[in-house]
Amino acid sequence: MGDLFSNLGLGFATVFQFVQWTPSFLGGMSIPLPMNILLCLVGALVGTLVGVLPGIGTIATVAMLLPITFGLPPVGALIMLAGIYYGAQYGGSTTSILVNIPGEAGSVVTALDGFQMAKQGRAGPALAIAAIGSFFAGCVATVLIALLGAPLTKLALAFGPAEYFSLMVLGLIFAVVLAKGSVLKAIAMIVFGLLLSMVGSDIETGASRMSFNIPELADGLGFATVAMGLFGFAEIIRNLDTGSEEDRQLVQNKVTGLMPTKKDLKDSSMPILRGTVLGSILGILPGGGAVIASFAAYTLEKKLAKDPKRFGRGAIEGVAAPESANNAAAQTSFIPLLTLGIPPNAVMALMVGAMTIHGIVPGPQVMQKQPDLVWGMIASMWVGNLMLLIINLPMVGIWVRLLRVPYRLMFPSIVVFCSIGIYSVNNAPMDVMLAGIFGLVGYWLIKHDFEPAPLLLGMVLGPLMEENLRRALLISRGDATVFFTRPLSASLMAISAFLLILALLPALRKKRDEVFVESES
Amino acid sequence: MSDAPSHAPEKSILPSWVKGPQDFVGGIALMAIAAFALWASSDLQGMHGFSFGAGTAPRMFGILLLGLGAGVTFVGIFTEGEALQKFHWRGPVFVILAIASFALCIRPMGMVFSAMSSFMIAALGSAETRWLETAIVGACLTTFCALLFPYALGLPLQMWPAFLIR
Repeated sequence: MGDLFSNLGLGFATVFQFVQWTPSFLGGMSIPLPMNILLCLVGALVGTLVGVLPGIGTIATVAMLLPITFGLPPVGALIMLAGIYYGAQYGGSTTSILVNIPGEAGSVVTALDGFQMAKQGRAGPALAIAAIGSFFAGCVATVLIALLGAPLTKLALAFGPAEYFSLMVLGLIFAVVLAKGSVLKAIAMIVFGLLLSMVGSDIETGASRMSFNIPELADGLGFATVAMGLFGFAEIIRNLDTGSEEDRQLVQNKVTGLMPTKKDLKDSSMPILRGTVLGSILGILPGGGAVIASFAAYTLEKKLAKDPKRFGRGAIEGVAAPESANNAAAQTSFIPLLTLGIPPNAVMALMVGAMTIHGIVPGPQVMQKQPDLVWGMIASMWVGNLMLLIINLPMVGIWVRLLRVPYRLMFPSIVVFCSIGIYSVNNAPMDVMLAGIFGLVGYWLIKHDFEPAPLLLGMVLGPLMEENLRRALLISRGDATVFFTRPLSASLMAISAFLLILALLPALRKKRDEVFVESES
Repeated sequence: MSDAPSHAPEKSILPSWVKGPQDFVGGIALMAIAAFALWASSDLQGMHGFSFGAGTAPRMFGILLLGLGAGVTFVGIFTEGEALQKFHWRGPVFVILAIASFALCIRPMGMVFSAMSSFMIAALGSAETRWLETAIVGACLTTFCALLFPYALGLPLQMWPAFLIR
C-alpha cells in the first residue's frame, strides 16, 4: 500500500514538475512553467478538436497527431499522447451525440441514445453525463492501474521467451474474439500485419528482407506511416464516397441547459458504476478494448432495465453506461502495455510506436528503470480526465460550431496536414508516398469488410513475436513443444485455443454477434 | 455503406456459384499478397540447425496467410455474403494525386508551395468544392502549418523553393 502512494506521489510530482522556460524574446528572463500539465492540456484540447471532426475516429486522431509529439522529451510526449487519446475519445462521443456520426466503432452505441436525446433538446445533459461518467471511470481506472502495475511487472519479469510468445498469441486471439466481424478475416489481417512488420532488415542476421533494394524500405515500414495511411488517408477517401452533406443531420437548435437534472444523475449513477466495472475488466484483458466494453455495457443496461423499450429512444442510461465503460477500458488497456510491453489494441500499438521513436522499449524494464515516465503517465491520466471535464463542458458550443465545418474544406486540410506530419518524421518524401499507398490499401480493406485495426496490432507485435519465437526455439534446441510443456506458457496457449474454439462454435458465435447487433437495431 | 442499393445482382462479373463476392475477392487478394511475400522472401536463408534464418519467419507467416486467404475464399464461395461494394474513383484518385504531388514537390519546392498545391488538388476530389472558399482556406492552412511545424514544434522544414534560397 505504501508503495502505491509513493509511486503515485512520484507520478504527480512528475506531472506537476516546473520547467524553467527561457524564451529569447524576454531577454534571458526565465519563467517557471508546469510543462507536463500544459502538454496534457494541449493534448486533450487538440485531441478533442480533431476527434470532434465527423468521421475521424480515435485511432485516426492519434495517428494524425503522432508527429507533433516527436519533438518533445519522452515523458512530455507520452503525457501529451495520452491526453490526445482521451481528448479524441471524448470528441468522438460529442460527435456521436450531436451529429449521429460515430467516428469509430466504440461510440456507435453512444450515438443510439445520445442522438435521440439531442433531438429531444437534451444534448446538454447527454454530453454532461458522458463527461461525468468518463471522469468517474477514469478515476477508478487510474487507481486500478496503479494497484495492478507493480505486481504484474513482477510477474512479467518471470516470463521467458516462450511465455512471452504465448502471451502475445493470447493477446492477438483475444483481439480477434472481442472484435467485431469475422474471426477468420481478423486473423488474416493480423498475419498480414505480421508479414508487413518483416519488411526491412532482419534483427539477428541483418539480412534485408522483402525490401527490393529500395533504400527507404531497408529500415522497415515506418509505423507512423502505415498507421497514418490505413487510418488517416483511408478514412478520408472512404468518407468522400458517402460524401454528400445531407446525411449530416446536425442538431441545429442551440445546446442549452448543460446541467443534468437530479433525476438524470440518479438514473445514471448505477449505470456509470456498472459500466466502469465492466469496462475496467474488459480493458485489462489482452486484446480487450473500448469497443466491446461499450457494446457490452449497453447490452447489460438494456437487460437490467425495467423498461427496455426506452433504449434507442433517448434513455440516459444508454449514454452513461457505454461512455463510462469506454473510458475505463481505454485506460486499463494501458496496464498490459506498461507492465508486459504488449499493446492490447490499435491505439496502444500507436503508443508503442511513439515510445519506440523516443527510444523506449515498453515492458517491465521501463517500470523499473524509468519510474517517472510510467507513473508520470498514470498520474497524467487522472489529470487529463479532470481537464476534459473542466474544459470541455463549457466549450461544447465551440465544438458544435466545428461540426458545421463542411467536409469539402476539411478533407483537403487533413490530407495536407497528414502529409506534412509524415514527411517531418524522417524528412523522407518516400514515406509520404508509402502512406498514400497504404491509404489505398486501407480503402480496399474497408470495402471488403476487413478491419484495419488487427493489422496494425500484428505489425507492432511482429518483431517482438518473431524475436521471442526464435529465442524460445533456440533455448529449447529446436523443440517446438516448449510452448506446451512450460506450465505458464502451456496455460496461456490453452486459454488461447479455448477462446478460439469458443469463438468459432456456432452457438457462441451467434451470441457474440448478438451483442453487436442487438445494440444496433 | 450508403451505396448498398446500387448493386444489381445481374451486374456481378463473378460466376454464379460465388455466394459471397466480397469475401471471395478479398480472400483471393490475400492469397495473392501471401504468394507475393513468399516470392519476395524466397532468396532468404531458411533454417540452419535449429535456429531461424532470416527467411524462416516470413515464409511461416506467408504460408499461414495463404491458408487463411484460402479459408476466406471458401467462405466466400459457400456462404451467402455481401455483394461487392461500389468503388468510387474521384475521391481516391485526387487524394492520392495530392499526396503524390506533395511527396514530389516537398524537396525541390519547399513546404509552402507543396502544401498549397496539394490542398488544391485534393479539393478536386469532391464535387462540392467552391474555388474561392477553397483557396482562402488553403492559404490559411498553409500559413498555419508554416507557423506550427517549424516554430511551435521545432521541426526543421524547408519553407520556400530551393532555387529561391540559393
